[in-house]
Amino acid sequence: MANSHVLISSQTLGSTATSVTFSSISGAYRDLRLVITGTTTTSTVDAIILQFNGDTGSNYSVVYATGDGTSATSATQATTYLSSGVIGTSQSVSTIDIMDYAQADKHKTTLVRGNTPAWGTRMIAGRWASTAAITSIVVKTEAALTFSAGDSFYLYGVLG
Amino acid sequence: MAYNLIQTQTVSTAVPSITFSSIPQGYTDLYLVISARSSFATGSVSDLYVYFNGTTTGYTSRWLQGNGASASSSTSTAPADPLVTMANVAANTFNSVSVYIPNYAGSANKSYTLDDVTEDNSTTAYQRIVASLWSNTAAITSLTVSEANGANLVTGSTASLYGIN
Repeated sequence: MANSHVLISSQTLGSTATSVTFSSISGAYRDLRLVITGTTTTSTVDAIILQFNGDTGSNYSVVYATGDGTSATSATQATTYLSSGVIGTSQSVSTIDIMDYAQADKHKTTLVRGNTPAWGTRMIAGRWASTAAITSIVVKTEAALTFSAGDSFYLYGVLG
Repeated sequence: MAYNLIQTQTVSTAVPSITFSSIPQGYTDLYLVISARSSFATGSVSDLYVYFNGTTTGYTSRWLQGNGASASSSTSTAPADPLVTMANVAANTFNSVSVYIPNYAGSANKSYTLDDVTEDNSTTAYQRIVASLWSNTAAITSLTVSEANGANLVTGSTASLYGIN
Protein backbone atom coordinates (compact mmCIF):
# COMPACT_ATOMS: atom_id res chain seq x y z
CA MET A 1 0.00 0.00 0.00
CA ALA A 2 1.40 3.37 -1.03
CA ASN A 3 1.95 6.30 1.25
CA SER A 4 -1.46 7.78 0.50
CA HIS A 5 -2.19 9.28 3.91
CA VAL A 6 -0.30 12.29 5.22
CA LEU A 7 -0.42 13.18 8.90
CA ILE A 8 -1.80 16.72 9.18
CA SER A 9 -1.94 16.95 12.94
CA SER A 10 -2.03 14.72 16.00
CA GLN A 11 -3.09 15.55 19.52
CA THR A 12 -2.56 13.31 22.53
CA LEU A 13 -4.21 14.75 25.60
CA GLY A 14 -1.90 15.54 28.50
CA SER A 15 -4.91 16.17 30.71
CA THR A 16 -8.65 15.73 30.45
CA ALA A 17 -10.55 17.87 27.96
CA THR A 18 -14.12 18.31 26.78
CA SER A 19 -13.21 19.17 23.20
CA VAL A 20 -10.41 18.93 20.66
CA THR A 21 -10.06 21.29 17.72
CA PHE A 22 -8.23 20.99 14.43
CA SER A 23 -7.98 24.37 12.72
CA SER A 24 -6.45 25.85 9.56
CA ILE A 25 -6.83 22.53 7.75
CA SER A 26 -5.15 22.64 4.37
CA GLY A 27 -7.32 22.04 1.31
CA ALA A 28 -4.53 20.18 -0.45
CA TYR A 29 -5.91 16.66 -0.03
CA ARG A 30 -8.76 14.65 -1.52
CA ASP A 31 -10.26 13.32 1.73
CA LEU A 32 -9.63 13.45 5.45
CA ARG A 33 -9.31 10.57 7.91
CA LEU A 34 -9.67 11.15 11.65
CA VAL A 35 -8.67 8.35 14.06
CA ILE A 36 -9.72 8.69 17.71
CA THR A 37 -8.69 6.28 20.45
CA GLY A 38 -9.28 6.52 24.16
CA THR A 39 -11.91 6.69 26.87
CA THR A 40 -14.25 9.05 28.62
CA THR A 41 -14.10 9.48 32.35
CA THR A 42 -17.74 9.47 33.34
CA SER A 43 -20.02 7.31 31.22
CA THR A 44 -20.30 3.80 29.82
CA VAL A 45 -20.74 5.12 26.29
CA ASP A 46 -21.53 8.29 24.41
CA ALA A 47 -21.49 9.41 20.80
CA ILE A 48 -18.50 11.29 19.45
CA ILE A 49 -19.72 14.35 17.59
CA LEU A 50 -18.12 16.72 15.07
CA GLN A 51 -18.86 20.26 13.99
CA PHE A 52 -17.23 21.77 10.93
CA ASN A 53 -16.12 25.39 10.47
CA GLY A 54 -17.88 26.42 13.67
CA ASP A 55 -21.30 25.63 12.20
CA THR A 56 -23.78 25.04 15.06
CA GLY A 57 -26.87 25.09 12.86
CA SER A 58 -29.20 22.18 12.12
CA ASN A 59 -27.20 21.11 9.10
CA TYR A 60 -26.02 17.64 10.05
CA SER A 61 -27.67 14.27 9.43
CA VAL A 62 -26.70 10.62 9.82
CA VAL A 63 -28.01 7.11 9.36
CA TYR A 64 -26.43 4.39 11.45
CA ALA A 65 -26.55 0.71 12.39
CA THR A 66 -25.54 -0.56 15.81
CA GLY A 67 -24.80 -3.95 17.29
CA ASP A 68 -24.69 -3.94 21.08
CA GLY A 69 -24.15 -7.63 21.56
CA THR A 70 -27.84 -8.35 21.94
CA SER A 71 -29.66 -6.76 19.03
CA ALA A 72 -29.04 -5.01 15.72
CA THR A 73 -30.70 -1.63 15.32
CA SER A 74 -30.70 1.25 12.88
CA ALA A 75 -31.83 4.87 13.14
CA THR A 76 -31.41 8.35 11.71
CA GLN A 77 -30.56 11.65 13.34
CA ALA A 78 -30.75 15.23 12.06
CA THR A 79 -29.40 17.85 14.41
CA THR A 80 -26.76 20.51 15.10
CA TYR A 81 -23.77 18.16 15.04
CA LEU A 82 -22.56 15.09 13.19
CA SER A 83 -22.57 11.86 15.17
CA SER A 84 -19.22 10.32 14.28
CA GLY A 85 -18.29 7.42 16.51
CA VAL A 86 -18.63 6.15 20.05
CA ILE A 87 -16.50 6.32 23.16
CA GLY A 88 -16.87 4.92 26.66
CA THR A 89 -15.00 3.93 29.74
CA SER A 90 -13.54 0.91 27.95
CA GLN A 91 -10.78 1.64 25.46
CA SER A 92 -12.54 2.77 22.28
CA VAL A 93 -11.60 3.47 18.69
CA SER A 94 -13.39 5.42 15.97
CA THR A 95 -12.30 5.99 12.38
CA ILE A 96 -13.94 8.80 10.42
CA ASP A 97 -13.48 9.27 6.67
CA ILE A 98 -14.55 12.68 5.37
CA MET A 99 -14.93 12.66 1.59
CA ASP A 100 -14.11 15.55 -0.75
CA TYR A 101 -13.82 17.88 2.23
CA ALA A 102 -12.30 20.72 0.20
CA GLN A 103 -14.77 20.65 -2.70
CA ALA A 104 -17.00 23.73 -2.91
CA ASP A 105 -19.77 22.18 -5.02
CA LYS A 106 -21.09 19.40 -2.81
CA HIS A 107 -22.36 18.59 0.65
CA LYS A 108 -19.74 16.76 2.73
CA THR A 109 -20.26 13.07 3.48
CA THR A 110 -18.66 10.81 6.06
CA LEU A 111 -18.21 7.09 6.65
CA VAL A 112 -17.57 6.08 10.26
CA ARG A 113 -16.75 3.00 12.31
CA GLY A 114 -17.04 3.39 16.06
CA ASN A 115 -16.19 0.73 18.63
CA THR A 116 -16.61 0.66 22.37
CA PRO A 117 -16.00 -3.01 23.11
CA ALA A 118 -17.86 -3.01 26.42
CA TRP A 119 -20.89 -1.58 24.65
CA GLY A 120 -20.90 -2.40 20.96
CA THR A 121 -20.04 -1.36 17.43
CA ARG A 122 -21.63 1.20 15.13
CA MET A 123 -21.30 2.16 11.46
CA ILE A 124 -22.47 5.59 10.37
CA ALA A 125 -23.04 7.44 7.12
CA GLY A 126 -23.16 11.20 7.66
CA ARG A 127 -23.78 14.40 5.73
CA TRP A 128 -23.02 18.06 6.44
CA ALA A 129 -25.38 20.18 4.36
CA SER A 130 -22.81 22.75 3.32
CA THR A 131 -20.77 23.36 0.20
CA ALA A 132 -18.04 25.14 2.13
CA ALA A 133 -14.60 23.58 2.24
CA ILE A 134 -13.86 22.17 5.68
CA THR A 135 -11.12 24.17 7.36
CA SER A 136 -11.73 23.32 11.00
CA ILE A 137 -13.15 20.44 13.03
CA VAL A 138 -14.29 20.42 16.64
CA VAL A 139 -14.55 17.04 18.38
CA LYS A 140 -16.77 16.58 21.44
CA THR A 141 -19.10 13.98 22.89
CA GLU A 142 -22.85 14.27 22.58
CA ALA A 143 -23.40 14.58 26.35
CA ALA A 144 -20.40 16.91 26.77
CA LEU A 145 -18.41 14.25 28.59
CA THR A 146 -14.71 14.51 29.30
CA PHE A 147 -12.01 12.91 27.20
CA SER A 148 -9.33 11.22 29.31
CA ALA A 149 -5.65 12.10 29.53
CA GLY A 150 -3.83 9.99 26.97
CA ASP A 151 -6.66 9.99 24.43
CA SER A 152 -5.29 10.47 20.93
CA PHE A 153 -6.67 12.26 17.88
CA TYR A 154 -4.91 11.81 14.54
CA LEU A 155 -5.99 13.77 11.45
CA TYR A 156 -4.70 12.57 8.08
CA GLY A 157 -5.00 14.02 4.61
CA VAL A 158 -5.69 11.43 1.93
CA LEU A 159 -4.00 11.97 -1.41
CA GLY A 160 -5.97 11.30 -4.56
CA MET B 1 -0.21 7.32 7.11
CA ALA B 2 2.16 5.15 5.24
CA TYR B 3 1.34 1.46 5.10
CA ASN B 4 4.61 -0.43 5.39
CA LEU B 5 4.48 -4.11 4.64
CA ILE B 6 6.07 -5.97 7.55
CA GLN B 7 5.46 -9.45 6.19
CA THR B 8 3.15 -11.52 4.01
CA GLN B 9 2.73 -15.21 4.77
CA THR B 10 1.21 -17.58 2.21
CA VAL B 11 0.21 -21.09 3.19
CA SER B 12 1.92 -23.57 0.86
CA THR B 13 1.09 -26.65 2.95
CA ALA B 14 -2.01 -26.69 5.16
CA VAL B 15 -1.26 -25.47 8.69
CA PRO B 16 -3.42 -24.76 11.76
CA SER B 17 -2.06 -21.24 12.28
CA ILE B 18 0.10 -18.40 11.02
CA THR B 19 2.24 -16.33 13.39
CA PHE B 20 3.95 -12.98 12.95
CA SER B 21 6.66 -12.71 15.56
CA SER B 22 9.11 -10.00 16.58
CA ILE B 23 6.79 -7.27 15.29
CA PRO B 24 8.72 -3.97 15.04
CA GLN B 25 7.60 -1.42 17.64
CA GLY B 26 8.29 1.70 15.61
CA TYR B 27 4.89 2.20 13.99
CA THR B 28 1.77 3.93 15.24
CA ASP B 29 -0.78 1.27 14.28
CA LEU B 30 -0.98 -2.21 12.75
CA TYR B 31 -3.17 -3.34 9.87
CA LEU B 32 -3.72 -7.04 9.16
CA VAL B 33 -5.33 -8.43 6.00
CA ILE B 34 -6.37 -12.10 5.85
CA SER B 35 -7.62 -14.23 2.98
CA ALA B 36 -8.28 -17.70 4.37
CA ARG B 37 -10.17 -20.93 3.87
CA SER B 38 -10.55 -23.70 6.44
CA SER B 39 -10.31 -27.46 6.00
CA PHE B 40 -13.11 -27.84 8.58
CA ALA B 41 -16.05 -29.51 6.83
CA THR B 42 -19.00 -29.27 9.22
CA GLY B 43 -21.45 -26.47 8.49
CA SER B 44 -20.95 -23.55 6.16
CA VAL B 45 -18.53 -21.39 8.14
CA SER B 46 -15.93 -21.87 10.81
CA ASP B 47 -14.10 -19.38 13.00
CA LEU B 48 -10.66 -17.87 13.02
CA TYR B 49 -8.89 -16.64 16.09
CA VAL B 50 -6.61 -13.62 15.98
CA TYR B 51 -4.62 -13.31 19.19
CA PHE B 52 -1.61 -11.45 20.49
CA ASN B 53 1.64 -12.39 22.24
CA GLY B 54 0.60 -16.04 22.34
CA THR B 55 -2.22 -15.21 24.77
CA THR B 56 -5.77 -16.48 24.16
CA THR B 57 -7.39 -14.91 27.23
CA GLY B 58 -8.57 -11.39 28.05
CA TYR B 59 -10.56 -10.79 24.85
CA THR B 60 -14.08 -9.42 24.55
CA SER B 61 -15.95 -8.42 21.42
CA ARG B 62 -19.34 -7.31 20.20
CA TRP B 63 -20.34 -7.65 16.61
CA LEU B 64 -22.97 -6.67 14.12
CA GLN B 65 -23.66 -9.20 11.39
CA GLY B 66 -25.72 -9.47 8.24
CA ASN B 67 -26.28 -12.74 6.38
CA GLY B 68 -28.25 -11.60 3.37
CA ALA B 69 -31.57 -12.09 5.12
CA SER B 70 -31.35 -10.49 8.55
CA ALA B 71 -29.12 -8.51 10.90
CA SER B 72 -28.07 -9.66 14.33
CA SER B 73 -25.65 -8.85 17.12
CA SER B 74 -23.86 -10.89 19.73
CA THR B 75 -20.84 -11.02 22.02
CA SER B 76 -17.80 -13.23 22.27
CA THR B 77 -14.87 -13.80 24.59
CA ALA B 78 -12.93 -15.66 21.90
CA PRO B 79 -9.88 -13.91 20.46
CA ALA B 80 -11.23 -11.61 17.73
CA ASP B 81 -13.40 -14.33 16.16
CA PRO B 82 -13.84 -13.57 12.45
CA LEU B 83 -15.63 -16.15 10.33
CA VAL B 84 -13.77 -18.22 7.78
CA THR B 85 -14.98 -19.94 4.63
CA MET B 86 -15.31 -23.70 4.91
CA ALA B 87 -14.00 -26.68 3.03
CA ASN B 88 -17.43 -27.86 1.90
CA VAL B 89 -18.55 -24.70 0.08
CA ALA B 90 -17.78 -23.52 -3.44
CA ALA B 91 -14.22 -24.23 -4.48
CA ASN B 92 -11.68 -21.43 -4.59
CA THR B 93 -13.65 -19.17 -2.24
CA PHE B 94 -11.86 -17.58 0.70
CA ASN B 95 -12.92 -15.14 3.39
CA SER B 96 -11.63 -11.57 3.57
CA VAL B 97 -10.71 -9.98 6.88
CA SER B 98 -9.14 -6.68 7.86
CA VAL B 99 -8.02 -5.86 11.39
CA TYR B 100 -7.00 -2.33 12.41
CA ILE B 101 -5.06 -2.12 15.68
CA PRO B 102 -4.27 1.43 16.84
CA ASN B 103 -1.57 2.13 19.44
CA TYR B 104 -0.42 -1.49 19.43
CA ALA B 105 2.85 -0.58 21.16
CA GLY B 106 1.24 1.54 23.86
CA SER B 107 0.53 0.75 27.48
CA ALA B 108 -3.27 0.98 27.34
CA ASN B 109 -5.61 -1.94 26.74
CA LYS B 110 -5.79 -2.72 23.03
CA SER B 111 -9.04 -1.75 21.33
CA TYR B 112 -9.27 -2.71 17.68
CA THR B 113 -11.61 -2.95 14.72
CA LEU B 114 -12.31 -5.99 12.56
CA ASP B 115 -14.23 -6.35 9.30
CA ASP B 116 -15.01 -9.78 7.88
CA VAL B 117 -16.85 -11.21 4.88
CA THR B 118 -17.45 -14.73 3.64
CA GLU B 119 -18.92 -15.00 0.17
CA ASP B 120 -19.12 -18.48 -1.28
CA ASN B 121 -21.73 -18.14 -4.03
CA SER B 122 -24.41 -19.71 -1.84
CA THR B 123 -27.69 -18.36 -0.54
CA THR B 124 -26.23 -17.35 2.79
CA ALA B 125 -23.12 -15.25 3.11
CA TYR B 126 -21.91 -13.25 6.04
CA GLN B 127 -20.64 -9.76 6.66
CA ARG B 128 -19.54 -8.92 10.17
CA ILE B 129 -18.12 -5.82 11.85
CA VAL B 130 -16.54 -6.33 15.24
CA ALA B 131 -15.50 -4.14 18.16
CA SER B 132 -12.79 -6.01 20.02
CA LEU B 133 -10.79 -5.39 23.16
CA TRP B 134 -7.74 -7.18 24.48
CA SER B 135 -7.61 -6.24 28.16
CA ASN B 136 -3.86 -6.30 28.36
CA THR B 137 -1.46 -3.39 28.61
CA ALA B 138 1.52 -5.19 27.05
CA ALA B 139 2.85 -4.01 23.72
CA ILE B 140 1.89 -6.37 20.92
CA THR B 141 5.02 -8.15 19.76
CA SER B 142 3.49 -11.19 18.05
CA LEU B 143 0.22 -11.95 16.32
CA THR B 144 -1.30 -15.35 15.48
CA VAL B 145 -4.09 -16.25 13.06
CA SER B 146 -5.48 -19.66 14.02
CA GLU B 147 -8.24 -21.95 12.76
CA ALA B 148 -10.54 -22.18 15.77
CA ASN B 149 -11.95 -25.69 15.37
CA GLY B 150 -8.72 -27.60 15.21
CA ALA B 151 -8.68 -27.76 11.43
CA ASN B 152 -6.16 -26.24 9.03
CA LEU B 153 -5.83 -23.14 6.94
CA VAL B 154 -5.67 -24.51 3.42
CA THR B 155 -3.06 -23.91 0.75
CA GLY B 156 -3.40 -20.43 -0.73
CA SER B 157 -4.51 -18.78 2.50
CA THR B 158 -2.59 -15.54 3.08
CA ALA B 159 -2.03 -13.01 5.82
CA SER B 160 -0.28 -9.66 5.38
CA LEU B 161 0.76 -7.45 8.28
CA TYR B 162 1.37 -3.73 7.76
CA GLY B 163 2.84 -1.12 10.06
CA ILE B 164 1.25 2.32 9.81
CA ASN B 165 3.11 5.55 10.52
